Amino acid sequence: MSPVPFSFVGGVDPATGKILDSDAGISDDRLTGRIFAFPHGKGSTVGSYVIYGLAKRGVGPAAIVNSAAEGIIAVGATLAEIPLVDRIDTACLRTGDRLIVDGDRGAVDLLGVKATPVVSAILRNRGRILIVRRSDAVGSFRGRWSAISGFLEGREDPRARARQEVREETGLRGAKFRTAGRSVLARANARVYVVHPFLFDVPSRRVRLDWENVEYRWVLPEELERFKTVPRLMDVVSAVLT
Amino acid sequence: MRILLALGKLSEAKRLVPITSAHVSGASYKMIGDPGLEFLEDFAKDARVVAATTVNPLGTDLRQWEELGVPRDFAEKQARIAAAYERMGVQPVFSCTPYLLGVRPGLGEHVAWAESNAVCFANSVLGARTNRESGPSALAAAIVGATPEYGLHTEEGRQPTVIVHAAVRPRDLDFSLIGLVAGERVGDGLPFFRGFRGSEEDLKWLGASLASSGSCGMFHLEGVTPEARKARRRGLRTLTVTRRDLAAAKREYSDGTEADVIALGSPQLSSEELREIARRVERTAPRIPVWVFTSRAARDANPEAVAAIERNGGRVLADTCLEVTLLEHRFSTVATPSGKGAYYLPTLCKQKVILDRIDALLERYA
Repeated sequence: MSPVPFSFVGGVDPATGKILDSDAGISDDRLTGRIFAFPHGKGSTVGSYVIYGLAKRGVGPAAIVNSAAEGIIAVGATLAEIPLVDRIDTACLRTGDRLIVDGDRGAVDLLGVKATPVVSAILRNRGRILIVRRSDAVGSFRGRWSAISGFLEGREDPRARARQEVREETGLRGAKFRTAGRSVLARANARVYVVHPFLFDVPSRRVRLDWENVEYRWVLPEELERFKTVPRLMDVVSAVLT
Repeated sequence: MRILLALGKLSEAKRLVPITSAHVSGASYKMIGDPGLEFLEDFAKDARVVAATTVNPLGTDLRQWEELGVPRDFAEKQARIAAAYERMGVQPVFSCTPYLLGVRPGLGEHVAWAESNAVCFANSVLGARTNRESGPSALAAAIVGATPEYGLHTEEGRQPTVIVHAAVRPRDLDFSLIGLVAGERVGDGLPFFRGFRGSEEDLKWLGASLASSGSCGMFHLEGVTPEARKARRRGLRTLTVTRRDLAAAKREYSDGTEADVIALGSPQLSSEELREIARRVERTAPRIPVWVFTSRAARDANPEAVAAIERNGGRVLADTCLEVTLLEHRFSTVATPSGKGAYYLPTLCKQKVILDRIDALLERYA
């Protein structure tokens, strides 16, 4: 798994399938027989031919998983007859994970990992958003900064659950729903949180915390990187703000 | 077919449209290397093109590679790539300017072309319709005779996204400079130029630079290009390009101090341009070699111009072009009036560049 976009030209030894690109964080690993996940392809279109050559020599990947589809990889996988599944958030995958890739259905099963649906409410007031620091009494990510969040139970409506969490965790009234973002997958060991992001505008910045959080701040979205947050909070925020 | 379906799915195309010609990129051994050679030879075992198909320049002129000092292994592999294309039924016209060689699809005609400058020319100047294809996707389209209908094949995809007002009276090098500056600012947008006019030749240089520094597949020029009149401009932002921007681009793309070759081409020169260069070097003989890149047809049609250039220490290379040819084994700084060349030479050929007007270069190295 490479966390950064990948070029097959220069990124891999075409004779052996060994990864050469040090930015991928997996140099010296071999692609051979493994499922290779990376966000999307980049670089020269000759990359398509490299994928073909790897497969022909039997040193290519068994399958490719991408976040975004892109021509070089799509053509290369077609020429090489390697299953390719795209629109999978590869940031939730880890090197060493065991996957089942179904190229026909366009689906990926992540083995031994539990999916947990959660809601995340981004509260906005005059350009700033609310973040809260999680208390020691909660079950996960103690001490980390987070948006207002909660588990989604059974078949309940995610937006209604988000509203309820806002009331419980902040005491704020009059939150106006603005938008729902595409879900973000946040990985923590053997668990994947499927985060459903919602954006609300609130009329006040006066927050009354409950037991789940110990501290709050109203911050500009670009300030988020200065905080130690729960995984992928930045992506959750971008999912509703852009 | 599977390639076209994969790409069609990516772009959410609803159907394939028949094409009248294809132009394939990826013929230089320097660019595609052993992986490309291997694929093309395998593919050529059964694949045959059904559309009229031309292909991009090779990595050297196969009729004078020895005199150029090109390694034998390189030349042999290059010849195998050319042969593989020929086996597939591709015309052995190794040119980046098919539009100068009689392949001129008309207004509204669907084609599948790779090679960014040819794509830009076909869409903008001829009014034909093609996306910016890659080597394999154009080849796949040539074999199937059709291409996925999306992007620049559709009316909507050909509308401008930004107006570029060039408040200059451009001549020769200025067209390349406008292209470089606009491409940097417009990125993958579709510019609507206004404020100047230009000949077909001028627009060739403008489009080649635009498609290098930006990933534009088309532009409009008010009062000149065929689809400019019906282009929707309302509500678009306007960028202004000034004389000062052009001077800055010229400086920015020139990092060399002393050139060891003057290279003309990228895209390949037309017959007229070739004869013009011959006249100029006859007037003032340059003290460094002048390498001219053109098509085989133009070279064969102008033996006197070729002789004149070669008499003055130059070379006329056919079936190859500036940045896909092997230069790095001989030179380290290239002087050129090509904006596209200036853009690619540092990375693709490890060259330093002096970008200037052709007459200024010939004067400087007289």
